[in-house]
Amino acid sequence: MQLLSDNAYRSQFTVRTMDQIDELTTRQLHNLGIQTGSLINVVRFYPFHGPVVIQVDQQRLALRYRIYRQLVGGH
Amino acid sequence: MSLLINLVIAAAIVGFAGYEIYKSVKRSKGGGCNACDYQCDTKEMLKQHSSKLN
Amino acid sequence: MATVALLGNPNTGKTTLFNELTDKYAYVGNWTGVTVDKKMGTLRHTKIAVVDLPGVYSLNPITKDESVAIEYLLHGDPDLILNVTNASQLKRNLLLTIELLEFGTPVIIALNMIDDLNRTNVTYDLPTLAQRLHCQLKATNARNKKGVAQLRDDLVASLTELPPAAALHITYPTLVEQGITQAAKKLAAEHGMTPDFARWLTIQFMNQNQTIRAYAQAHDLKPLLQSAPFYDAQNFENQIFTTRLTFIEDTLAAARRQNTPTSQSELTNQIDRWVTHPLLGLPIFVVIFYLMFKLSFDWIGTPLSDGLNALVSGPISHGANSLLTSLGALPFLKSLIVDGVIAGVGGVLTFMPQIFVLFACISILEDSGYMARAALVTDRLMQMIGLNGKSFIPLIIGFGCNVTGIMATRTIEQPKERLITTLISPFMSCSARLPIYSLFVAAFFARNQALVVLSIYFLGIAVALIMAKVYQLVFKVKGNSNFMIELPQYHLPRPDIILQGTWDKGKGFVKKAGTIIFAGTVLIWLLSNLSFHGPVTDIDQSFAADLGRWLLPVFAPLGVGSWEIVSALLTGIMAKEVISSSMIILFHFTGRTALVATFANLFTPLSAYALLVFILLYIPCFSTLATIKAETGSTKWTIYSAVSSFIIAYGLAFLIYQIGSLFI
Repeated sequence: MQLLSDNAYRSQFTVRTMDQIDELTTRQLHNLGIQTGSLINVVRFYPFHGPVVIQVDQQRLALRYRIYRQLVGGH
Repeated sequence: MSLLINLVIAAAIVGFAGYEIYKSVKRSKGGGCNACDYQCDTKEMLKQHSSKLN
Repeated sequence: MATVALLGNPNTGKTTLFNELTDKYAYVGNWTGVTVDKKMGTLRHTKIAVVDLPGVYSLNPITKDESVAIEYLLHGDPDLILNVTNASQLKRNLLLTIELLEFGTPVIIALNMIDDLNRTNVTYDLPTLAQRLHCQLKATNARNKKGVAQLRDDLVASLTELPPAAALHITYPTLVEQGITQAAKKLAAEHGMTPDFARWLTIQFMNQNQTIRAYAQAHDLKPLLQSAPFYDAQNFENQIFTTRLTFIEDTLAAARRQNTPTSQSELTNQIDRWVTHPLLGLPIFVVIFYLMFKLSFDWIGTPLSDGLNALVSGPISHGANSLLTSLGALPFLKSLIVDGVIAGVGGVLTFMPQIFVLFACISILEDSGYMARAALVTDRLMQMIGLNGKSFIPLIIGFGCNVTGIMATRTIEQPKERLITTLISPFMSCSARLPIYSLFVAAFFARNQALVVLSIYFLGIAVALIMAKVYQLVFKVKGNSNFMIELPQYHLPRPDIILQGTWDKGKGFVKKAGTIIFAGTVLIWLLSNLSFHGPVTDIDQSFAADLGRWLLPVFAPLGVGSWEIVSALLTGIMAKEVISSSMIILFHFTGRTALVATFANLFTPLSAYALLVFILLYIPCFSTLATIKAETGSTKWTIYSAVSSFIIAYGLAFLIYQIGSLFI
């Protein structure tokens, strides 16, 4: 099991930068209403680094853990 | 019923079956959408489109 | 004739609205990507044409099906655009709206799913929005028809006296604005474009819209092409995006009002707490499928099916027989009609209730919004296999018919991922295989019918996923796919949509009964009544028997002991339903009750299960093979698909039978 103290597991965060994310993914995120400055609520993690459910502006989305990490920043 | 009528009806059934097999083989050769038995909207539109062209 | 184009983000209820506005029915689902091509209809009681376009987030296409919208704007020339938005996600939806407003064609915005918004603590003042966006807005809720009649009247009124086309002008940052003005001026002068269109085209060009860049190349629009490196170096795309977003936020802030929510918004969260639970989500997914098969095989489907069977093998068969006798039909014609057509085609048609119940269940899942959740809870598994969440959708569609499943792989961008999904699609158990399962589970697994069928379906999925992994390794595909999916609000399924969806999926089956199943039935009747020496009365002397006996040794290691089964399997390549009708004819029965009893002497539960596994996986039907050929454009892959699936089917059935025999 993952350690929950790991700073990757937050319940809420603001997207600081999207520089690490490739162009196509950035466009997809923009389409879904996520950009630099978005306030993101994390709803749910799936085990083994599975998808992450987040909420942005009343909208629930699921995305891959890798992209979630890039949004949180670090790594 | 005479033998002739019997033969004609049987021939009609077998003939129709043969025609259906021929048709489905021919259709399948086209592949893709043509091979599928569903009459979806895209197919309808395609039909309308080609009938307009002819 | 006037034309209205429906444009909007995916899953905003465009298609539902389209169905309410027009007389024509189109397929609806509460998941992204239901509409992959444009659909036409006419506005009720008028001659106004309505075009439903696939949902897009912006005019800048990412996949092939998304390019339909921008192509339509460039070449379709609509008189009015109806921009359908999801009222509770306006911020994101308005990004597309701005692109449409800049285009210059009059726009009416439908704030659809207004009921979802009313459940939140925010609402918007429509006059303020209308004034800021310079266009009409209407609140609608297409699912319960709220505001639809009003919208229809407004559309007609707007078309009879078209409002002056006034494109929305947002002020972009100075450098961008200068670039737009310069290019647009030249475009207007050198290429005779209207100022609005030139401006819109320039902005889209700056925005890295590949369709527009190709359009500029094709029309040799020098003012744009020459400046492209400059636009890109200055990252105009990002500046445009940020400006639009600020504009939207200002607009929404001005129109925002407090709202006292109706208390229902928690429902989706309540359901999702369990349905998408990290640990329970997958088991619940399995249970939902189990219940589906329980409904089809135990509770509703089979009882109805048995009733139909009693009707076909009883009154209809006997009635036809005595009628033909009284008319003086000779024995061979009577046999062809009664033992051939009625027993065979009628026998397959008696499985209709089971197939329709299954399709109704799938339609309910689609309409309620569960499909997106199914993709979510299975994503970790798909990721392990290296497949995209997008591959999940063609596979589910493959449950209806493998051909449509393979066609749906067109939404996958990566050529290799697409080829892999195409190759594994035939392992998904299509509805044509259902009758044969039904026959065998009734004979051998009467107590656990649903469970056994479920296990066959999941075995198909498992084989598909394992093969996908193998192909990934062989093709050296890097698993770098993105999976992003919206989780829409749950909807209470609407009966008329379910009914229509069920019929849409099931009508192919009914149609096939009159065509290829009929043909296959007649063929197998001929084969079982003829031999090299002419007509035979003893079926054991027939072509069918010779053929079956010749190949029987091949199938003996799978526990198949009679040539009738082998011959029936051969006919299955025409269409999988024909296996069932062939068995009924070859065993000389008028219906399936007696057939089920005969099976008890020919099979053990183990050999029956091994045979079902073989039928699930062996060579795809002719139509599917033809589609693989057409979609991959390669005979090699088609032959590979047929041969490999036969080997896998044979190997797995062999293992199950041989290993099982050691224990039983």
